[in-house]
Amino acid sequence: MTTLRVGKPHKARSDKLTIYLLLLPSLLPVLLLSVFPLLRGIYLGFTDARAGRNVDVTFTGFENYKELLGDEMFWNSFKIGLIWALGVTVLQFVLALGLALLLNQQLRFRGVARVLSVVPWAMPPVVVGILWKLVYHPDAGLLNEFFHRIGADGLRANWLGDFSTALPAVIIVGVWAGMPQTTVVLLAGLQGVAPELHEAAAVDGASAWHRFRHVTLPALAPVIVAITSLDFIWNFNSFGLVYVLTAGGPGGKTMLPMLFAYEEAFRYGNYGYAAALGNVMVVIIVALLAIYLRRRLREAN
Amino acid sequence: MLGKPSRTGRTLQYLALAAYLIFLGFPLVWLLSTAFKPPRELVQLHPTLIPSNPTVQNFVQAFTEQELGRAAWNSLQVSLASAVLTVLVAMPASYALARFKSKLGTLALGWVLLSQLFPFVLLIIPIFLVLRQAGLANSHAGLVLIYVVWALPFALWMLQGFVRNIPRELEEAASVDGASRLQTLRRVVFPLLAPGLVATALFSFISAWNEFFFALVLIKTPELQTLPVALARFVGIEGTARLGPLAAGALLATLPSLIFFAFMQRRLSSGSLAGAVKG
Amino acid sequence: MLPIRFRRLAAAAAIAVVGVGALAACGNGGDDEASAGPVKLRFLSLAWQKESLQANKDLVAKWNSEHPDIQVEYVQGDWNSVHDQLLTSFEGGDAPDIVHYEASSIGEFSKQGYLADLKDLIPADLKGQIDQGVWDTVTFDGQVTGVPFLLESQVVIANKKLLDAAGVTVPPADGGWTWDEFQANAQKLTKSGQYGVAWALKSPTNRVLNLALNYDGKFFYSDGGKTEVKIGDAEKEIPKRIHDMLYTSKTASPEALGMSGADTLPGFFGGKYAMLPGSVSLRQQMVEQAPKDFEWVTLPPVKGLSANQAANPQTLSVSADSKHKEQAAQFLSYFLNPTNMATLAKGDWLVPTGKQANEELVKLTEGKQGWDVAANSAADLTVAPFQQADGYPEWKTKYATPALQQYFANKITLDQLASQLVDGGKQVLR
Repeated sequence: MTTLRVGKPHKARSDKLTIYLLLLPSLLPVLLLSVFPLLRGIYLGFTDARAGRNVDVTFTGFENYKELLGDEMFWNSFKIGLIWALGVTVLQFVLALGLALLLNQQLRFRGVARVLSVVPWAMPPVVVGILWKLVYHPDAGLLNEFFHRIGADGLRANWLGDFSTALPAVIIVGVWAGMPQTTVVLLAGLQGVAPELHEAAAVDGASAWHRFRHVTLPALAPVIVAITSLDFIWNFNSFGLVYVLTAGGPGGKTMLPMLFAYEEAFRYGNYGYAAALGNVMVVIIVALLAIYLRRRLREAN
Repeated sequence: MLGKPSRTGRTLQYLALAAYLIFLGFPLVWLLSTAFKPPRELVQLHPTLIPSNPTVQNFVQAFTEQELGRAAWNSLQVSLASAVLTVLVAMPASYALARFKSKLGTLALGWVLLSQLFPFVLLIIPIFLVLRQAGLANSHAGLVLIYVVWALPFALWMLQGFVRNIPRELEEAASVDGASRLQTLRRVVFPLLAPGLVATALFSFISAWNEFFFALVLIKTPELQTLPVALARFVGIEGTARLGPLAAGALLATLPSLIFFAFMQRRLSSGSLAGAVKG
Repeated sequence: MLPIRFRRLAAAAAIAVVGVGALAACGNGGDDEASAGPVKLRFLSLAWQKESLQANKDLVAKWNSEHPDIQVEYVQGDWNSVHDQLLTSFEGGDAPDIVHYEASSIGEFSKQGYLADLKDLIPADLKGQIDQGVWDTVTFDGQVTGVPFLLESQVVIANKKLLDAAGVTVPPADGGWTWDEFQANAQKLTKSGQYGVAWALKSPTNRVLNLALNYDGKFFYSDGGKTEVKIGDAEKEIPKRIHDMLYTSKTASPEALGMSGADTLPGFFGGKYAMLPGSVSLRQQMVEQAPKDFEWVTLPPVKGLSANQAANPQTLSVSADSKHKEQAAQFLSYFLNPTNMATLAKGDWLVPTGKQANEELVKLTEGKQGWDVAANSAADLTVAPFQQADGYPEWKTKYATPALQQYFANKITLDQLASQLVDGGKQVLR
C-alpha cells in the first residue's frame, strides 16, 4: 500500500524523498502563518489572556473549562450551532448533488446554467447580507411581495423577526450561500466516474436510479465525504452572514457558537475564554467527524 | 450521466434546472435593477423590477468616490496570483498525501481539519503580527501569502480525494511502460486531476476576491486597496447603506468571478476524462 | 495581551517568512516613517454619506495645504468593521494616529490603555464649547480619551398629511409632547392598515436605556465601587409604555420590532406608519429618498419627567501609541472649530456638540428640515450610568437584548424581564 507494488526495494527511500520534496513548498508558509498561530490559539485557551496594552498573561490550566461547563448560554448556542450546521450541510448536499447531476447532463445552455449557479458564491459578502435582509423584509421584502402578488397574503411573515421562523430563514440563506461551492466540487467529482462503468451497467439493463445508486454514488464517495465534512466544519464556523441578518436575535434564537466566541474575543476582550470555547468546539466537532468519517471510510473500503 | 431520459424526463430536468437557477441567480437581477434606480425608487412598499427613471448616477458615484476601477485591478492581481499559487503548491502536496502513508501525512490532515475548525477570529492578531514583522504588511505579496496559506487546507483536502479516485492501475500501467514517476504524474495524474484543480483554483480565486478583513487591516496605502474594502464604505450605521452605488459596485465585483468560472467550467465536462484516459 | 516573548517569537517567525523568499521579494516594509520631513498623521474616519465624506475630505485637504509640516492622511473606514479593525491594529501596534468612533465603544479601548488622555492637549476654547454632561461620556477613570463632536438625539419623524387628517397639530420645536400625549396621538393615527407608530427595535437595549432617562431610569447603580443592575418603577416605565402600544392599544406595529431605523422607511413612505421615533439622522433619508409629494415633519423628543436622553456622541480620539499626540490634538482643534463642526454635523444630519457650532448651523439652515428641533434637543443629552459601567457590552448582548426582545414579542412578563436583567447584571458585574 505504501509504495507502488511494481517498484523495486530501493525505491522506498527515494519515495520518502519525493514526499518531502512534494510537500516542501507548502510547508514553510503554512508553519508560520497557520500552524504557529493555531498552536498559540490553543495555548491561549489555558490562560487568562485579555485584550489590552501590556497585559500580563498567566497560565490558568483548566480554569476556563470549569467556568465553561457552567456556561448555560454557551451550551444553548452550541445546540443552535449544531442544528444550524447539520441543517445547512444536509440541505446543501442534497440540493447540490441534484444540481450537479443536472449540470452534468448534455442540456442546452449548460455553460450559462453553470455560471449562473455560482452567483451566490461570486457576490461580495457585503451585499449578500443586505440582499437577504431585503428578501425577508416584513413590509417591502421580495418574499412577502411575491406572496402578495400571487394572492397568498396569508403566507406573508416577519421572517427574521419571528421567534419560530428566524432560524429556518437563516438556514435557507446558509444553504443558498454555500451551495455553489458544493455543487462545483461534486460536479468535478462526477467527471471521475468512468463512463465505461455506466455503459456496462446499462448493458446489464440497470435502471437509471440503480445505476446512480450503485455506480455513481460509490465512485463519488471520497469526494462526497471530503466536501460534506468540510461543509459541516465551515457551516459550524460561519457566523458573519447570520450576524448581519439577526445579530443572534430574536431572543437569542440564532446565536451561533462562533458568534458567541467572536463576541467574547473581540467585544469583551476575553481572549483566553474565547480560545477555550474554540478548543472545546474543536474537540467536540472532531469527535463527531471521527464517527462520520470512520463509518464512511469503512463503507468505502 | 443518467442515460438518455424520455421527453417528459427532459422537460422535468429543464424545469428543475430553472427552479435552481432562479433560487441561486435571482440576486443578479436584483443587483442590476437596483444599480439603475435613483434613491427615491429604492425605498418602496412594493418594489418594482424595472426602474421607472433609470439612472447611471450610481455608477458615476461609485467609481468617482471610491476609485473602484483601481481597487478591482488590485483585487484581480491578488486573486489570480493566489489561485495560481494555490494550485501549484497543492497539486504535488495532495498527491503525496493521498498516495503515501507517512506520519507527515497524518499530521498534515490533522492540521487541515484543525485550521478549519479553530475560530478564525482568534488567529487574526498573531497572523497580522507575523506578516507585519516580515515587512509584508501593506503589500499585495503579504495578502497573497496569507490567502494561499488559508486556501491550502481546502485545496489539499479536496485534491487528495480526487487523487484517491484515480485508479492506481493507470499509474502502474504507465510505470510498467517505463515512464518515470514525474512522467506518470504529468501524463496520467494531472489530466485526470483537472476538474479538481478547476474547483480548487476557483475556490482560491473567489476566496481571495471576496476576502475583506485581512485586506482591511494589512493594506494602508489607498492605492493598494482591494475591492471588498472599497465596497464596504458604502455601508453605514445600523444596517443602512447607500444602496445605489453599492449595487453598482457589487455588480462590477460579481462579474469577474463569473467570467473566471465561465472560462474554467469547460474543464468540468466528461469529455476531458475520456480523452485523458485514451491519451 | 501580547507579552514581549510573543513579539520576539513573531519576529523570528517573520524572519523565516522572509527566508521563504520568492513571495516576499516585493514586500516593501516601508512601515516606519522617516524621522526627517513633515509629521505624518493617519486619520481613520467613518464618514460615509456623500456630503459628509466630501466635507471631511475638504477639511483635511485644507489643513494639509495650510500646514506643510503636519500632513494628515485621510483613511476611510466603515462602521461595521471598525471595532475589529481597531482592536487588531491596536494589538498589532499599528493603529492610526487619529480615530473616529463613538463614546459607548471607546470606553473598552480606553480602559485597555489604547487611547491617549487628551485632558491637557485640548485647548480651553474647544473644551468650553461642549457641555460637561457630554464630556462625561468620554471620561473613563478620570481620563478624557475622545473629543465628542456629533450627537444623535432621538426625535420623532411624522407624516404631515396623516397628522393633518387626524387633526393632530405639530408641537413647537421647544415644546415636545409628553409620553401620554404621544400615546394618545398615536391612537388617533391608528386605523385599519395604518399604525400610529413603528418602533424599530432591532437593537432594543441602547434604545430603551437611552429613553429610560426620561423617567430617571438608571439601570446601573454604583455604591462604593460596586455596580449592580436594579430594576424599579423608573426603569420599567419605558419598556411598559412601548409594550402597551404594541399589545394593549395596538398603536405600534409588532412587525417593525425586528427592524433597524432605516428599515421602517418603506412602510413610512407608504403610509403604513404615521410616526417614526428615531434618530435625527433619519432626516437625511427623508430628504433623499421620500417620494416627491411626501411631507414630513420633525417632532421634538417625547418627554417623561424630563426629556433627558443618553448621549452617545461620535468621537475623535488619539491612539496611545501615536508618536505625534500634540500635532494630532492641534489637528483636532482645527478640525472641530465651530464652523468646521457645523459643516460636519450638517453633512451627517447630526447635532454638533459645540454650542457655537449649533448656533451657526441653525443660522445656516434657517432651522428648516428639522434643524430647529435637532438644535433644541442637544440640551437634553447627557451621560447615563450604563455608559460608565464595566461589562455593559457583555450585559447588553448576552442578557438585555434577548430579554427585551422576548418581552417586546410578548413572550415574557415585565417582572420576568426585570429579573432576567438583574440576573444578567449579577453574572457580568461579578
